[in-house]
Amino acid sequence: MFKKILIANRGEIAVRIIRACKELGATTVAVYSDADRKSLHVALADEAYHIGGSAPAESYLVIDKIIDVAKKSGAEAIHPGFGFLSENEKFAKRCEKEKIVFIGPSAEAIRLMGDKITARNIAQEAKVPLVPGSDGAVSDVEAPLVADKIGYPVMIKASAGGGGKGMRLVRNKEDFESSLRMAKSEARSSFGDDSVFVERFVEEPRHVEIQIIADTHGNTLYLFERECSIQRRHQKVIEEAPSPGISAKTRKKMGEVAVRISKAVNYSGAGTVEFIMDQKENFYFLEMNTRVQVEHPVTEMITGFDIVKWMVRIANGEKLPFKQKDLSINGWAVECRVYAEDPETNFMPSPGLLHYVKAPTGPGIRDDSSIYSGYEVTSFYDPMLSKLVVWAESREAAIDKMASALKEYIVLGVKTNIGFLIRVMNNDVFREGKLDTGFIEKHPELLTAGEVDIEPAIIAAALAVGNAEESTGSDKGPQSNWKLLGRKAGLSGGTLI
Amino acid sequence: MTYTFKIKDKVFSVEIEQEKDQTVVKINEEGRPVEFEKIDDYIYSIIVDGKSLTIGVLKNGNNIQVFMDGDLFEIEAISERDQMKSSQVLSGVQEIKSPMPSRVVKILKEIGDEVDADEGIVVVEAMKMESELKSPIEGKVTDVLVNEGDAVEAGNTLLIVSSD
Repeated sequence: MFKKILIANRGEIAVRIIRACKELGATTVAVYSDADRKSLHVALADEAYHIGGSAPAESYLVIDKIIDVAKKSGAEAIHPGFGFLSENEKFAKRCEKEKIVFIGPSAEAIRLMGDKITARNIAQEAKVPLVPGSDGAVSDVEAPLVADKIGYPVMIKASAGGGGKGMRLVRNKEDFESSLRMAKSEARSSFGDDSVFVERFVEEPRHVEIQIIADTHGNTLYLFERECSIQRRHQKVIEEAPSPGISAKTRKKMGEVAVRISKAVNYSGAGTVEFIMDQKENFYFLEMNTRVQVEHPVTEMITGFDIVKWMVRIANGEKLPFKQKDLSINGWAVECRVYAEDPETNFMPSPGLLHYVKAPTGPGIRDDSSIYSGYEVTSFYDPMLSKLVVWAESREAAIDKMASALKEYIVLGVKTNIGFLIRVMNNDVFREGKLDTGFIEKHPELLTAGEVDIEPAIIAAALAVGNAEESTGSDKGPQSNWKLLGRKAGLSGGTLI
Repeated sequence: MTYTFKIKDKVFSVEIEQEKDQTVVKINEEGRPVEFEKIDDYIYSIIVDGKSLTIGVLKNGNNIQVFMDGDLFEIEAISERDQMKSSQVLSGVQEIKSPMPSRVVKILKEIGDEVDADEGIVVVEAMKMESELKSPIEGKVTDVLVNEGDAVEAGNTLLIVSSD
């Protein structure tokens, strides 16, 4: 095993990796920016080095600085976590050059999967299903023929497109010609290029992904799927494993497809193959993430397999000790990402000082977090506070456990999405497993507390105000009931008698 | 002691009284017996009608944040003097301030533009996410103090809207 490992990340994932490395017997090296001096990853690592300013471009994204620390500290390997340099081909290459082990796939695999068009071509060669459509831009004559072939509804998309411009959803053949004309004219005026392509429109799409793990001895296994359809701002909020809507047959097929595409790029380490899926279990390749995924804990909970530890072992040349047939799904796991954000104002981030934090505990509850009472959430990084993960024997039991655990979570000082998460757990449509990526937009009522008994909140506020007046003595009048009550409470050990 | 609290647009009058052997909290004249313990600086354990609740309270001047069952309620404590003024709160001159350190992405209104209450007037970006700030009142933009691309601190005034 490596004697010393540098963790080139921050926040909860750095904490998660530091713990795994320590358990494997390695000395851990943290790096931190100005804003992160008091972050938990610095406190938990054996060694810590300052690498620059708070903006990621001045610290966590600077390859030279990370490599310098690795050399200075004598780290033999670097775990990049997710985000930052984790999918940076140049960084992986530089590690190779400096003879430092990059804990992840080869720079070549990162490059191939990092480019959308290359990845799509590799997928096609590996017979991985892609959203049916024209192969690139099509002429006005070809376009309707392609639409007929793939079947309606179809989406016309500008080749140079982005942000919904030059995009048209066509449900019927009769509307195709006029929609094509409008899409092209919009594309011309927006991008100066009117070439378009045609693709099948996936209705009520779900996001389902396969976790794969591959060693450097030719073993590539799939650790089943994760359902990640509950998203806001195109980012996942709630994930679960397994997926509530797929059959054993589809699961096997998806797993085998994911293994095939991983093998096509000689993949090693942990990776995730993302698919878009319709409500009839037809699935199409989206992309491959060549790193550990935020939501990896749900897979760990249902397989008993420590993904982060195995990433390190594989980078160290170890062989996976089991085969696909040895793996099975046990129970159900759900993850909720707790964010410092306000669901009521379109999930606006809410940085600030966390005056008080109390995370839930109990059997089957795992809280991957990096926050504590007194920690300050800055606006430099992602506002994720914690990943609350639960495991239970069934989906229903896991959701019940999550709802109950969330109710125990207390975060005071910033706005959080905890109340929103609780309402999702109690929502009938969610509980029935009828999921698609438009779920949150379809259920705006979940964004606010709605009709709840707020009287206890008012009582607590009154108690706090009374208490403050008592302790500062600001209320000097003899009529202060509060002062009297407070004194009595003090004499009787807190209870008012 | 009577307190007046405002949550969103609702006003509550709260009285705490000692009746015989128990504390009674009257909210808008309706009393409920309450048993409470302060657990630490921010946490109260409250038992109301047999229901046990753990509630977090953070007080900052007249603003009180109460955390209960996953939701944060923002309560404003109003003194009698403030109560007389409160009818005028949503008119006059409103400064649109940045709620956090961020970057101005897009200014949606120019000086002289009319705006509706709740209409977006400026887009800021922080933590990789864009957020639209809205005008709290109907009126006219009288000043734009920042440019697109500017970095701003929490509390910086970005635009001024006047209802006059």
